Amino acid sequence: MSIEITMPRLSDTMEQGTIIKWNAKEGDAVSAGDAVADIETDKATMEMQVYDDGTIVKILVAEGDTVEVGTVIAVMAEEDEDPAEVAASVNVQPAAQTTQPKQAAADAGPDETVQTETPVQPVMPAAQEPAPAETVPPVGAAQQIVAPATDGVGDGRLRVSPVARRLAEAHDIDVRTLQGSGPGGRVVKRDVLRAVDAGAETAAAIPPSAKAVVPATPVLLPGPIVQAPTVLQDQIVPLSNMRQIIARRLVEATTTIPHYQVTVSFDMEKLLELRTTLNEQLAEQGVKLSVNDFLVRCCALAMYQHPEFNASWGGDHVKIHGEVNIGIAISLPVERGGGLVVATLRNADQKSLRAISLETKLLAEKARTRGLSIDEMADTTFTISNLGMFGVDHFTAIINPPNSAILAVGAALQKPVVRDGELTIGYEMAATLSLDHRVIDGAMAAQYLRTLKGLIENPATLLV
Amino acid sequence: MSRQIEYRDALREAMSEEMRRDPRVFLMGEEVAQYNGAYKVSRGMLEEFGPQRVVDTPISETGFTGLAVGAAMMGLRPIIEFMSWSFSLVAADQILNNAPKMLYMSGGQFGCPIVFRGNNGAGGQLGSTHSWCVESLYANVPGLKMAIPFDPYDAKGLLKTAVRDDNPVFFLESERLLSVKGEVPEEEYLVPFQQALIRRPGADCTIVSFGRPLYFCLEAAQALAEDGIECEVIDGRTIRPLDIETIVESVRKTNYCVVVDQSWPFASVGAEIASQVHERCFDDLDNHVARVHADDVPPPYAYNLEQEMLPNARKICEAVRSVTYNA
Repeated sequence: MSIEITMPRLSDTMEQGTIIKWNAKEGDAVSAGDAVADIETDKATMEMQVYDDGTIVKILVAEGDTVEVGTVIAVMAEEDEDPAEVAASVNVQPAAQTTQPKQAAADAGPDETVQTETPVQPVMPAAQEPAPAETVPPVGAAQQIVAPATDGVGDGRLRVSPVARRLAEAHDIDVRTLQGSGPGGRVVKRDVLRAVDAGAETAAAIPPSAKAVVPATPVLLPGPIVQAPTVLQDQIVPLSNMRQIIARRLVEATTTIPHYQVTVSFDMEKLLELRTTLNEQLAEQGVKLSVNDFLVRCCALAMYQHPEFNASWGGDHVKIHGEVNIGIAISLPVERGGGLVVATLRNADQKSLRAISLETKLLAEKARTRGLSIDEMADTTFTISNLGMFGVDHFTAIINPPNSAILAVGAALQKPVVRDGELTIGYEMAATLSLDHRVIDGAMAAQYLRTLKGLIENPATLLV
Repeated sequence: MSRQIEYRDALREAMSEEMRRDPRVFLMGEEVAQYNGAYKVSRGMLEEFGPQRVVDTPISETGFTGLAVGAAMMGLRPIIEFMSWSFSLVAADQILNNAPKMLYMSGGQFGCPIVFRGNNGAGGQLGSTHSWCVESLYANVPGLKMAIPFDPYDAKGLLKTAVRDDNPVFFLESERLLSVKGEVPEEEYLVPFQQALIRRPGADCTIVSFGRPLYFCLEAAQALAEDGIECEVIDGRTIRPLDIETIVESVRKTNYCVVVDQSWPFASVGAEIASQVHERCFDDLDNHVARVHADDVPPPYAYNLEQEMLPNARKICEAVRSVTYNA
């Protein structure tokens, strides 16, 4: 009997998964425990193990493809089977499978032998497996235990005390990532609290921490500020899945993309005035436009005028996209493990300021609380990273592949400016565009920025 | 330093004050008058109140409790002393089948405002038949109230409340506590029913008990504190009505609960509290509620076996460690 390997449900919110990489190919013999594929979910990339010895006879979902949870992604022949025979018997219908709902199968309990699908599991330690001592659960990351066969103490059930479950929810920790210290591997309160502490340590390790000692009321001290000495210690902070993804993608971006930067300053006077006016007039309707909302619209309109900016490097071609999808970098709160995601504002060139503002707020809120779905992070064609709210003058950003450009935005600051030959005070904002030179040359960048400058400095265009 | 008196004297003060306050109140039981009480609880009361109101009875629990039921129905407020609650069993029909149901069965015409009081629990090598802990057996019956005083202060305050209550109140004292001294104010006070008291605050595990076993709980809590486990010891004070709110509030804080009940485990007060905590605190519990009871055997006579059969500090420590995953 052949074994079907299905797309595992690796988080609560996971509905589909993307095969990032197959680590085995058709015809490869594999052993139980081998990580045969890297799967990207809405939250993280994880390795997927097989639970049987055998031979991979058919790979049904190609690298880069996204399928629903429960979809058969590969077929294995068991040890005592002839792989060729099994391969011949596989009825390849991947298209049908991508739409076939198999959630019930994925959710099936251990005693429901719905079909001969082999349970797959991320390599991260599960509750019933002995975990290395340094394992600290990635806060906010999620993964799955698909009930494995009975072995030792555990019967594959996840045991969690009621208060542990409640605490984990409150701290947004997936109990399935925890090593239970109670009887039979039960996850109990202290296991969750340790994870919370570990998360807090991780957060505390990020300088400068928001928790930095700031007196509630400023106190003038004659000498150096005397505080209870906080002893700094060496710490090993395990990588969350998100941190691993950030690391992998950004190393890839900086090492493969020939970056260059172009910086320009914008006169923000009119835009800020317009923003104040609009926010005053629309306050009753709950509209509160941010500078970033204007920038999204400006960038999107400029993209429309410069389609060569709305493009991706394809190795032997450049792909110019038919949709202007602006990505907005959103930093996540430390309680969720920190990190950042890029939310997608689809067809931003066709959206009003009001729509952009609303959608951005909803996406940011969701990203910071429940996490974004893959759809909500996919298909960006350009990204904006704005640190203006932190008072940053200017900075450079790393391109978010497969984009060809990213705009790093600083704060709109009061500065001495020369206007009509007179020195006066104006609002200036510096923004730095990082570009992929394979796709966009310097002159093209300059033209785009000129268009952008025109939009920002004459913001009436944004309204009509 | 305020006044320190014995538990037995606190009981007498309660009865005497209530008898002075209300002429309908009288005390009846074996040896309560001439002998000044088998345990000297009613010392001097005959002298003050006379034989009409402090009444010696034959060894006839069925008879004199029945008399009390009749007296109460006709408007008096008897206090019935059982030398031991073990002896109340022969009067079960009176105290369980008549007194608690009378108000209901008479459509509100006749109540039974009686206090049944006496020593409850193993007194120390009294053998199987004289070592009853009746709380679980009797608390099962609707229509009665049940109070278990821990110290002289509660002995007086709860007994005065019991005398004023219009329902039959089962007042469970302990022979082992009669000589315990404690602070009792000169001025009058009452301890209301259904108002549990935190005898020792703590954040790590809730221990609930009543009466004498509370001393073992406090001893255990002290030992556990030395190991860094801070127990919150709750004195329920009354079993019926039960102040479950105080218990629930504590368990919501500690996430663990151990119930210590000196009666047998099966269908017991401990089982009832565990059940209510599970119902009310399910999402707050990190483990099931643990119970420490007397072992499920008739009380042995041998001293060492009797001590081992009853709840004790060692068993409570073990239960707390186990339930908090510190075993």
